[in-house]
Amino acid sequence: MTPRQRGAVWRRLRQQSAAVASAAILLALVLLALAAPLLAALAGQDPTTYHDDLIDSARGGVPLGPYGGISGDHWLGVEPGTGRDMFARLLYGARISLLIALGATAVQVVIGLAVGLAAGLGHRLADQVLSRFTEVLAALPMLVIAISLTAIVPADFPRPLLLVLVIGLLGWFGTSRIVRARTLAMKKLDHVAAARLGGSGPLRVARRELLPALAAPVITYAAVLVPGNIVVEASLSFLGIGVKPPTASWGQMLSTATVWFRADPMYVLLPAGCLLLTVLAFTVLGDAVRTALDPRERSRLRVGTHSARTGRSADAAREKEAAV
Amino acid sequence: MAEPSRNRSLSAVTAGRVTPRRVAAAAVTVALAVGATACGPEDATAGGGAGAAPAKGGTLTVLNSQPQTNFDPARLYTSGGGKVPTLVFRTLTTRNRENGAAGAKAVPDLATDTGRPSENATVWTYTLKDGLKFEDGSPITSADIKYGIERSFAAELSGGAPYLRDWLVGGESYQGPYKDRSKDGLKSIETPDAKTIVFRLKKPEGEFPLLATQTQFAPVPKAKDTGTKYEEHPVSSGPYKVVKNTGDGEHLVLERNPHWSGKTDSERHAYPDTIDVKSGLDSAVINQRLATGAGPDAAAVTTDTNLGPAELARIGGDKELGKRVGTGHFGYTNYLAFNPKVKPFDNPKVRQAVAYAVNRQSVVNAAGGSALAEPATTFLPNGTSFGHTPYDPFPAGRTGNPAKARELLKEAGYENGLSITLTHSTAKNFETSPEIATAVQEALKKAGITVKLQGLEENDYKEKVHSVDDEPGLFIGGWGADWPSGGPFLAPIFDGRQIVRDASNFNHAQLDDPAVNHEIDEINQLTDLTAAAGRWGALDKKVGEQALSVPLFHPVYKRLYGKDIKNVVISDWDGVLDISQVSVK
Repeated sequence: MTPRQRGAVWRRLRQQSAAVASAAILLALVLLALAAPLLAALAGQDPTTYHDDLIDSARGGVPLGPYGGISGDHWLGVEPGTGRDMFARLLYGARISLLIALGATAVQVVIGLAVGLAAGLGHRLADQVLSRFTEVLAALPMLVIAISLTAIVPADFPRPLLLVLVIGLLGWFGTSRIVRARTLAMKKLDHVAAARLGGSGPLRVARRELLPALAAPVITYAAVLVPGNIVVEASLSFLGIGVKPPTASWGQMLSTATVWFRADPMYVLLPAGCLLLTVLAFTVLGDAVRTALDPRERSRLRVGTHSARTGRSADAAREKEAAV
Repeated sequence: MAEPSRNRSLSAVTAGRVTPRRVAAAAVTVALAVGATACGPEDATAGGGAGAAPAKGGTLTVLNSQPQTNFDPARLYTSGGGKVPTLVFRTLTTRNRENGAAGAKAVPDLATDTGRPSENATVWTYTLKDGLKFEDGSPITSADIKYGIERSFAAELSGGAPYLRDWLVGGESYQGPYKDRSKDGLKSIETPDAKTIVFRLKKPEGEFPLLATQTQFAPVPKAKDTGTKYEEHPVSSGPYKVVKNTGDGEHLVLERNPHWSGKTDSERHAYPDTIDVKSGLDSAVINQRLATGAGPDAAAVTTDTNLGPAELARIGGDKELGKRVGTGHFGYTNYLAFNPKVKPFDNPKVRQAVAYAVNRQSVVNAAGGSALAEPATTFLPNGTSFGHTPYDPFPAGRTGNPAKARELLKEAGYENGLSITLTHSTAKNFETSPEIATAVQEALKKAGITVKLQGLEENDYKEKVHSVDDEPGLFIGGWGADWPSGGPFLAPIFDGRQIVRDASNFNHAQLDDPAVNHEIDEINQLTDLTAAAGRWGALDKKVGEQALSVPLFHPVYKRLYGKDIKNVVISDWDGVLDISQVSVK
């Protein structure tokens, strides 16, 4: 992308108020997560201290007071059964949930790019092997494998890192397929062909000619992956194989909160609301990025290429490529 | 329903056969223990149900989560005193069907008394009542009872408790009537005439009348025995017979047995005409259906699903629902178990420090609050029949004494703090689950003890903590008795001869103290169970002072029942609403 193109993308992004709002929300969430210890200290709370005096032991441990025990000390109330501060737990939970989601997405993108480029640029046999391997892996039930993996790894292994690796290693297939399909299509483009004829090796071609063009679809796809990864982290924590207690994550909070939806709705609504907001913001932003990197923009650059000659719309061509 | 965890002197083969069954039954217990509350005198009022006198007729619906699989008297782990099997299987003795502590004793059922001991309680003689009949009208004889017990020794009908095998002379080698076709069968059970049955035991067992409540003591007519298929239609000796059993016990329909007579059975009332047992339901669904009580659900009960903390919190504000909650106590203790073979728990001061540091208020809250759990300082459950003797060797109040714990740690050479690992299961059972572990972790932090949590999947957890070789240094354990007495509570945990090397071991501290072993033998000889209870209590106190475990809490069961349910009886034997007493009219 030239600086001028980049400027155009930014302009189109900024014009979408939903995208700006989403970005602002995500930025705020990341800042809140980073500042969790600071903010919790400001509230005078931490995420692990029990407050037995703030819950009604005779009634199943429901928080005393309305709205989940909201008070001057506990801004968002306390957790049923323990009396731990909800504000602090949500903030610390955001750290884990965002860290795992972004970390896993990074792993997925890196592996996906590497495998996709290798398959697209490499020898035919390499392409066959890598593509079949990807298909087999993609056909495996991810959640089941994630469960068994988290069960066999030694207990001392840091959980957030384990979750990043498990989710990352089990979710790169989509990226690699897109990258491979793009690479195959672009191999036929004049500038790539010229570079290859000029004696550039596959690595150089990948770096100089392909990666810049791949950035747009990969960024778009990554923005869609993040909310999915947040949900997977929540599911794993929900199943009791996510982060270990007393660490909080939104998924872990939801998993204990579901049965409380009637007795203490706040306990469910807070983590569920955070999760919803984050997933929604990422989805909207991802969509906005996709529109900003409008395929038609690129199609103009591809005058005289295969897909333009056959008269198909760029979108249809892309769909076909993705399906290859 | 006892934590069906005993695997004592069984051969490796037998143990292997029994264990999965135990695990399954333990899972049931776990499901049961989700709920729990302080009960007491209000039980008696709850017993009144809707007020009017109970009457015959109608259909009682039972909504359960666990299917009634293996509906064969040889295969049931315990007789399920308040539960479905008691409606079909009568036994030599049975549980006293009364509220509270009065229900925690054995009374005659098929027999005229609870058994006559002789030769220092190694020989027990029973005489059958007159006029006992099976559902086909044929008379019940002592040979049928002997045959029923013999069947339970057959490998293909495993599942029962190990006591018969351990106690009866020749029990360890007897293979059951299908393999052993000798005329006399198991020789230590004698039937001199059709009404008399005599049991010969290896050593004195004063609690034999309590064992005789288990379904293995139900009569089985040899001519009708179809082996493993018998569970599809067991021949009834009780007030109801099986008319439908589909989905391996998922849907069970019982109707009146015309040959049963209340004249020979003073324990079962059998008010409803039909019992409709529907299982395989989610616990939230069961509680919601009982709360709503639409249609047949108005005359419904559950025998295996408790109210959880969140459900209790909601019901707390509803007076009508509050009246329909039955409270029960089952002898059960959840505790921290030490393995003194693992450092630093070889040091009694470290164990005592943990005992002082524990905050039982937090633990009780984590278990569902004061309505579902009572703080425990004794290993024995808090019922008189267990011989419960209140004591607290390490008094630290409700919320613990971290200062005292630090002091002890200093004496033990850990003035700079200590880091330990606590093993627990990841099952959502409010017993050995992460909630409890986290509450312990938080309390110990105040005493300078850093606790690392090791959460294991339920089966993995059971395998580890019950293995002599792999046992962790500190874990959350639970123990329930097979009958309400101190014996089956203390012996498997603290008797040195019950350390099991090749199968499930429950003596977590691997305590082998000759004085303790001797005292257990002495008490087992007593046929005066009140006197025995006092001595179990004293033994509990003596062992408790060694800080081999830290008792945390005793669970309490809270269960909903339908609007039309009358005559609710919940005994301290198992804490479950007694289905044989319920009326729906």
